[in-house]
Amino acid sequence: MTPAISVASVSKRFRVPLDRSNTLKYRMVHPRSTSKYQDFFALQDINFDIPAGEFTGIVGHNGCGKSTLLKILAGIYKPTSGSVTINGPVSPFLELGVGFNPELTARENVFVNGAVLGLTRGELTRRFDDIIGFAGLEEKVDQKVKTFSSGQEVRLAFSVAIQANADILLMDEVLAVGDAQFQAKCFDIFAQHKRAGKTVVLVTHDLGAVEQYCDRAILLDHGHIINDGAPGEVTAHYRRMVGEASDAAALAIKHGGRIALDPANPESRWGSGEVRVRDVTLVNDSGEEHHTFTSGHPMTVAVNVDVASQVNDLICGISLHRADGYTLAGTNTFICKVPVKCPPAGQAMHLEYVIPELTLLGGSYRLSIGLSSGADAHHYDKLDQLVEFRVVDESGRIGVFELGGAWTISAGKPAAALPSAEATA
Amino acid sequence: MSAALARNVNLTRELALTQFKLKYAGSALGYVWSLVKPMMLFGVLYVIFERLMHTGTGENFPMQLLLGIVVWTFFAETTGAAVSVVASNGSLIKKASFPRPILVIAATVASSMSFLINVVLVMVVGIAFQQMQLGWHSLLAIPLLVELYVLVIGLSLFLSALFVFYRDLGHIWEISVQMLFWGSAIFFTLSGPTVAKYVKIIGLNPMAQIIEDLRHALVTTTVPWTASLLEDQWLIIVPFALVGISLALGMFVFRRLEPRFAEYL
Repeated sequence: MTPAISVASVSKRFRVPLDRSNTLKYRMVHPRSTSKYQDFFALQDINFDIPAGEFTGIVGHNGCGKSTLLKILAGIYKPTSGSVTINGPVSPFLELGVGFNPELTARENVFVNGAVLGLTRGELTRRFDDIIGFAGLEEKVDQKVKTFSSGQEVRLAFSVAIQANADILLMDEVLAVGDAQFQAKCFDIFAQHKRAGKTVVLVTHDLGAVEQYCDRAILLDHGHIINDGAPGEVTAHYRRMVGEASDAAALAIKHGGRIALDPANPESRWGSGEVRVRDVTLVNDSGEEHHTFTSGHPMTVAVNVDVASQVNDLICGISLHRADGYTLAGTNTFICKVPVKCPPAGQAMHLEYVIPELTLLGGSYRLSIGLSSGADAHHYDKLDQLVEFRVVDESGRIGVFELGGAWTISAGKPAAALPSAEATA
Repeated sequence: MSAALARNVNLTRELALTQFKLKYAGSALGYVWSLVKPMMLFGVLYVIFERLMHTGTGENFPMQLLLGIVVWTFFAETTGAAVSVVASNGSLIKKASFPRPILVIAATVASSMSFLINVVLVMVVGIAFQQMQLGWHSLLAIPLLVELYVLVIGLSLFLSALFVFYRDLGHIWEISVQMLFWGSAIFFTLSGPTVAKYVKIIGLNPMAQIIEDLRHALVTTTVPWTASLLEDQWLIIVPFALVGISLALGMFVFRRLEPRFAEYL
């Protein structure tokens, strides 16, 4: 059987002009100048077949090329090389709002938009009530689309798109907008399409939807397919990747072993500087430096401190913050009754804070480190939320930390055995 | 194949109706404006050339002038609007796949609708005031209108595609149209004494040729066919060749640039 969609070694190159020399004047003044371009490969050597009736999810971080791929499938972009074969009518639903004209009413836009999707006036007239009903816009039928909220606009666009007589549906980020109620309707439609044996390609960030509805998922990264297989496996791969990617973008940027100040926030480090933090490393259970940790596993915070001049009163503190800055926990050597002896000037000191079992649940967190004197709370060096790390947890627990409790279930006493409320009254 | 054609025809019709509607939506007088504009120009030119300068000669001069203005208004407004039709429909181009020339065709069809209404109104007025000479030769107006449409669609394809990449084109075309106005035999006829010396240059302008020949076909046979003024058989085909070239060039340029519209807009 021929596949519904066949993509063979497709690459897409965008030429990004370094200067937009698209005025006639520029062309006349510099007739021989060849415009400078920077080549950017949005997709490189993409190969896959989608059999008819398969529900495929495409996932990947922003800018990985998934929307470009969908546009190539829809015939909006031409691939730079390679070929795409589509067998059957396609209904593209790309990006938010399908080119509605803001000056026209919802009714008029439905007819124009339907015509773009290949529906005739007669078909649209018959299905008009369904379309408006699905979008839940009965009261706004004759209002101009410019008065619509973005959510209403997308709902209308989606309602029209699903009416198209297409066997292949391409959908980009449909779920990103719309309230929970509309999303539920979308999922119903997905299920219907699935039952009807339509081929659907869904680009989304909603990994749950991919796991629930897709038969297959494709993971794109920097224009390459890096995983193509069962949805559960692919989404797990993507989740791991997202964790690692934020390592690279972690707030604590190390420059030659030093923690750089967050340039956007010079207030994030201060202190008189007698003792200074040289670097902070987070170490996982296998002794490697890391920025992603698994809930329930050990994490060690290792701090190297340089001494510029010896101080006789030194306390080392650490605190944990949520990504929004809210302080979750904090302690210091004074509270823990651990005396810190400051080495003489020019020498260094190594401190470690070992967490045997990380009770934090999935999310991104920040660490603050402080070196201060206990007597007058004077800061020698304070790094405020400069170290970022992530915690991965796939157990489904919610919130910030593991409650740590245990369930016990045993046979209870029947209600009749208890003194009833009336009896005591 | 015919399903695809039916789909494209349907889309063209919807887009044309939309543009027609949008053009007059929200203005109190609506369609009347597309009559008022040529009528104002007619009034001004009539007073200047017939009453003040007395150069407005020839049989049925008011009708000759009115016809010229209506045809010219169609040409200037359609091409002027078509320049930006691809660029301003970026959201549609980036989100749906359909033959891109449909946008241009729909735009020209939309303004052809008001043009045809205007032509009919002008003819009604002309017949009422006995300013028309109609006969079998008047049927030649039909191929002339086709020629006009071919010229307009050719230029529109060319301009709308290039405008996506060179935004100066909008201004350049506006100026060109303004200048072309003086050389398109609108307020004078090619056979008149004032332009006798330059007739073999002005007569090569397809717009002058179309307007002049439409006058012969509809208003008065005292206005000769352009061909009989150009005399030389090679010169005679120049205006028609220019129309053909504009269509060929428009299609060629559009086809070449079309794949990059979605990326550039």
